[in-house]
Amino acid sequence: MRTETAPSGNPLTRVLGALIVATVVLFLANLLTTGDKASATGWVLYVVGAVVTMAIYFFFASKPIWQVTTREVVYMAIGAALYGVLSWATNVIQLPSVSLVALRPAVVIPVFFGFVFGPVVGFFSGAVGNILGDALTGWGVYPVWDLGNGLMGLIPGLALAFTDRERAARIVLYLVGAILALFTVLALAFPGVEHPWMGQTMGQWWPFLLVLLVLVVVGYFVLRNVGRRPSLSAGVVWGALGVIVGMAFASIADIWVNGYSVATALLGEFVPAAGGNLFMIVILMPIVLAAWESARARTGR
Amino acid sequence: MLVNWNYKERNTLVQRLDPRARVIFILCAILAIILTWDLRLLVLWLAFSLLVLRLARLTWAEMRRFWLIVLPIVLFLVTLTALTGRGGEEVYQERHLIWQGSWELFGRRFAPGLSLEQLIFAISQFTRMMSMAALSLLIPFTIHPAQYGITFKGLGLSDKFAVATDLAFRFVPTLGRDFATVLDAQRARGYEVERLGGGLVQQVRHLAPLIIPITIGAILGAEDIIDAMDLRAFGTHPKRTWVTQLVYRRRDYALIAAGVVVVMATIVLRSLGIIRFWVPWEWLTLGGGL
Repeated sequence: MRTETAPSGNPLTRVLGALIVATVVLFLANLLTTGDKASATGWVLYVVGAVVTMAIYFFFASKPIWQVTTREVVYMAIGAALYGVLSWATNVIQLPSVSLVALRPAVVIPVFFGFVFGPVVGFFSGAVGNILGDALTGWGVYPVWDLGNGLMGLIPGLALAFTDRERAARIVLYLVGAILALFTVLALAFPGVEHPWMGQTMGQWWPFLLVLLVLVVVGYFVLRNVGRRPSLSAGVVWGALGVIVGMAFASIADIWVNGYSVATALLGEFVPAAGGNLFMIVILMPIVLAAWESARARTGR
Repeated sequence: MLVNWNYKERNTLVQRLDPRARVIFILCAILAIILTWDLRLLVLWLAFSLLVLRLARLTWAEMRRFWLIVLPIVLFLVTLTALTGRGGEEVYQERHLIWQGSWELFGRRFAPGLSLEQLIFAISQFTRMMSMAALSLLIPFTIHPAQYGITFKGLGLSDKFAVATDLAFRFVPTLGRDFATVLDAQRARGYEVERLGGGLVQQVRHLAPLIIPITIGAILGAEDIIDAMDLRAFGTHPKRTWVTQLVYRRRDYALIAAGVVVVMATIVLRSLGIIRFWVPWEWLTLGGGL
């Protein structure tokens, strides 16, 4: 049973400490090593990330959503194992794909677990599940992308902190819509930026981003107003925000990890990674949520 | 019912080492491999990884299923990298062509080229992925499932996160089995995963019959595990005890130290430019290129 208690200890000191240590290490690495140097814009993005982290802490730290009971422990394990197995399985069997989008249907798992069981379950499912999936296919360990996948599950879990969830979902819809519109315009404005591995140019991406924007907005209103399922529409927009934040974190971190330019990280890497995952969330999240609500009603849990 | 990893108790050099020391060393080794693009070093890493599998006395029959799944994925990715030349821009700038293909397919002309750098990059990528896969294999095949929890606890996780990681590792083979069962059951109903028709949205929606049963089934089945843990008063006492106790010995400290030294040495040598992408230029004459 959940209890209304704040997290124990003083996590603020730990969050601040981790941020300070990370900043010092990054600054020294940037100063002392011979590789590519992070630009001023890269550092601005770093500061924005730190401010967002602190804002999340101040808004949500006292909420009961961080509680970890037996239920959360087991769901964390199930979520991580499911994400790992489904990531591996979709590599093994032949699944549909199109030239621009790398389809990873398994991303629905951390997002769904975060939205339904809370941010800790979502984060663990994403981060540990990604490690398991990568280990099963011989990819190795990439901490930045593991954390990015964790955030993809954590953000939807923040929805549980709001009492007026419909209003919160509407605000998140505006936020997601604005970000997608911004990146559609950026893809049109900088059509020559390339994906660092696949070589696709951003000029190819703006129609897909526009379709995603329409899918998210139309999906939200159809599920909420026509289907009368506000929880499903909330799941879609919170899941979309989770994908955007998680993939943005991993892509921006690659400015330091792989020495990418800000344009390559934000347009070349973030847009394809987030685009494919967003597409999966918009289609699969309502289906999985509806199935879960139906199963829960049937079993009385 | 839970399915276990294919673990067997063996009195080998690898299994006599503390599992925490093994996990730390494997993580250090994977980090060192990720930081390396020098094929000569990567070949050494692959030889070392295979030697460790040999020292752990793992047989081909035991590992066959894992490799039959991993090898096609690795080969597909490596071939794609070799033919497209993508992925290596960060490690090499120049290209020396050694082969130029040209053929017509469906009225369109394709002219894929292979440079020496592309070829070496692809071989390096193959060696890296195989080394990391071999090292990852050691965790499920040489650590007793009952020691996962105490191992992760010993690596610094809190009790609850250590138990969650322990359970996640244990659920993987069970859910893998469930996935295969669901796939077979849906195929028996006429579901053809290899031939999903329709538009992109329709194709993605067709994945639901695979994802829904395994996800909802796993969540509903988890209730029994939660009840069993609650009945055993899991988490009620602030200080948890573990049945197994792990004690570091001198050889475990030596293994951890070796792992840390390998990573530090790789970082330093890479920073000094000593470890970098290596190209055997004499291959150019063999290929008849420039």
